[in-house]
Amino acid sequence: MLSPYRVLDLTTERGLLCGQILGDLGADVIKIEPPGGSPARRLAPFYHDEPHPDRSLYWWANNRNKRGITLNLDHADGRAIIHRLAKTAHFVIESDNPGALARRQCGYADLATINPALVYVSITPFGQDGPRASYADSDLVILAAGGPLVLTGDEDRAPVRVSVPQAYLHASGQAAVAALIAHHERQRSGRGQHVDVSAQQAVAQATQSSLLAGPLGERDFQRLAGGVKMGPVKVRLVWPAKDGYVSIGFLFGSAMGHFTKRLMQWVHEEGCCDEATRDKDWVAFGSIFLGDPATIKEYERLVGIVERFSASKTKAELLQEALKRALLIAPVQTTKEVLASEQLAAREYWQSLEHPELGQTIRYPGPFAKFSAAPLRYRYRPPTVGEHNREVYVDELGFSEQQVEEMQHVGVI
Amino acid sequence: MAPQPLSDIKVLDFMWAIAGPGSTRMLADYGATVVRVESAHRFDATRTVGPFVNGRPGAENSGLFFNMNVGKRMLTLDLSKEKARSVVLDLVRWADVVTESFSPKAMRAWGFDYESLRKIKPSIIMLSTCLMGQTGPMAQYAGFGNLAAAIAGFTNIAGWSDRPPAGPFGAYTDYIAPWFNAAAILAALEYRDRIGLGQHIDLSQAEASLHFLGSALLDAEINGKVQQRTGNRDINYAPHGVYPTAGVDRWIAIAVTNDDQWNNLCSVMGRSDLIAAPHFSTPTARLTHQDQLDELLSMWTKEKDPFRLEQELQARGVPATAVRSMGEMYNDPQLQHRGHFVQLTHPKYETTTVEGSRFRLSRTPANITGSAATIGKDNQYVLETLLGYSEERITELVAAGVLE
Repeated sequence: MLSPYRVLDLTTERGLLCGQILGDLGADVIKIEPPGGSPARRLAPFYHDEPHPDRSLYWWANNRNKRGITLNLDHADGRAIIHRLAKTAHFVIESDNPGALARRQCGYADLATINPALVYVSITPFGQDGPRASYADSDLVILAAGGPLVLTGDEDRAPVRVSVPQAYLHASGQAAVAALIAHHERQRSGRGQHVDVSAQQAVAQATQSSLLAGPLGERDFQRLAGGVKMGPVKVRLVWPAKDGYVSIGFLFGSAMGHFTKRLMQWVHEEGCCDEATRDKDWVAFGSIFLGDPATIKEYERLVGIVERFSASKTKAELLQEALKRALLIAPVQTTKEVLASEQLAAREYWQSLEHPELGQTIRYPGPFAKFSAAPLRYRYRPPTVGEHNREVYVDELGFSEQQVEEMQHVGVI
Repeated sequence: MAPQPLSDIKVLDFMWAIAGPGSTRMLADYGATVVRVESAHRFDATRTVGPFVNGRPGAENSGLFFNMNVGKRMLTLDLSKEKARSVVLDLVRWADVVTESFSPKAMRAWGFDYESLRKIKPSIIMLSTCLMGQTGPMAQYAGFGNLAAAIAGFTNIAGWSDRPPAGPFGAYTDYIAPWFNAAAILAALEYRDRIGLGQHIDLSQAEASLHFLGSALLDAEINGKVQQRTGNRDINYAPHGVYPTAGVDRWIAIAVTNDDQWNNLCSVMGRSDLIAAPHFSTPTARLTHQDQLDELLSMWTKEKDPFRLEQELQARGVPATAVRSMGEMYNDPQLQHRGHFVQLTHPKYETTTVEGSRFRLSRTPANITGSAATIGKDNQYVLETLLGYSEERITELVAAGVLE
């Protein structure tokens, strides 16, 4: 869908997913790395646990559908090349600290002078300006600053994150949307602009609007193992199963009450609750959020019933019945169980990409959506360091083989 | 001033809950006309979810609902009524994009599936998004993002190794899917504008979200390693944790990602002796001795003020932040500086607060104004101004109970 457009991807280890999304959508994405390769190539996990710039699975997961070249932006000749590439490019994506690329004459103002139609996307921890714009960051720091961290974890221990970094994936996904909005505008106006993405603001989305509690005059939401505490009410989402855990939406009110009605019907059939409990008005029970102590006590009794019930069934039994009865129950799956999913297999989700450098084919997570007229295609496996130097510098930019060798020798590429 | 970037885009939006509305909210922020269809008999579930205005539950009080739907044209329609059908089909003729997030059989039952709609408007783009996708044995599986988070593998890896999963907060995949939904719609629009073809997009929330676990899935596929819950530990960096500070339930997040940061952390701690200590001097050594590092840091942070500590560490370039509570987020100086919070008018409460655009476009900024997304607030506007219905026809629809 984006095949006529070229993206120059200058991102560091943060923001890589943005270019991959545009690449999946068909854009010609050139990943530009410093000589020797991107710092992201040093990040674990590694193929067969061998640290090697071409074997980082972090790199693999975020650089498919890109071609890769090396280029030294600290060298004047390197900058001349990026300026040349910028003339015909449609998007630039970068994730350096604010001002860092401007100091190398590759900031938005520099490249917009060369190509006013350029959509220039900056992905930074806190945005281009503000009191924390120059703060040092990491996934954990962004998740703490943006809100989701404090909502997650056991109440008697420190807040926790998801054990695989998430912050820059949110920022990257958002950056792809923002880039495409600016692109749509450019198709009419002929003009580009600077897109300023803040990872902190992106991950704030994962608070489910809880960060509005202050201005709305709502109680603070607090973390709770497998759920959340809203004032005195402990809402539980993770429950035990015989062979692991399940997520159950044991919820009430006009929108959720009918799910719970069906669940309690089953709980009763299995002899785990009495008729009075089964026949409660689960819509009216939504009033629990008003915080009446008697209702909360009753809720805690019900939680005990559901917990004893779920713990007596396997994940598969619970899921099977959830599908049959339309219940809000899902198995808590490991990554290995995800790989073995029948649903994903039935939809032919996984995509194999050939890694000729390893003489092997690797199965990757598949296209993020199925498009009926223009299906997403996996055209390139993640590039090895400088894999497309010749293709880009000789075939497209017209340098001679000798010049390329020379540039390599003096550290331009 | 330049027109809004998406001022030429019209969206007929049947999506509900969080993932769907969060996607079209971004399009509305940048000028798209989004007609959000809702039933007055069976409200969107998020209307029953907080945070609520003044902490009082109520269909017109949900800050979450307002936040997901600001800037949209709110239309109530009873789709079970035959006369609603012609209104929907007129809106399809008006729209560039139709979006829906029901379970896969619902649109077919109403005759609003893609094959039917493209007969009415061949260039229509339709996004169908649900938890598991339109096909496969779990296609009809309905629910919210907490379920897809469990199925996709997020829930299992948020928490402590010695405890049951804590799970990421709330309906986690609902906060991932919007990026993919909106990008898919915008790419399909670009394709239609260039090639002239509409299309149907089948987006499974679980499948899209797996791209947020890419490296862990490859690790399982290639190396047979199953990602575990590791608290706040990281496979690449140490020390990497959330440490207690002075105050009740007060914490500071600290992550050292290179040797310079380690050196600077040691000097802020007044422990220059540790810089050259062989068991801490390289990233690999620090990873090997992280139990010791966590203990060392906890001892050091536990009597300190988290906000002052954040400043001391950041002044030396060490990634660190005090962990703020949800109630404190509104006064976060960085979010305030970025204009993250926006006031809207509300018919009952005068004003209410939502989040602004999470990103900035330098030349064509977002425009987030107007009133909160109350039930059916734009019925008249949609029917009269967008569809050109006569007053007589509108009265007729009201009398037939179609606008409910």
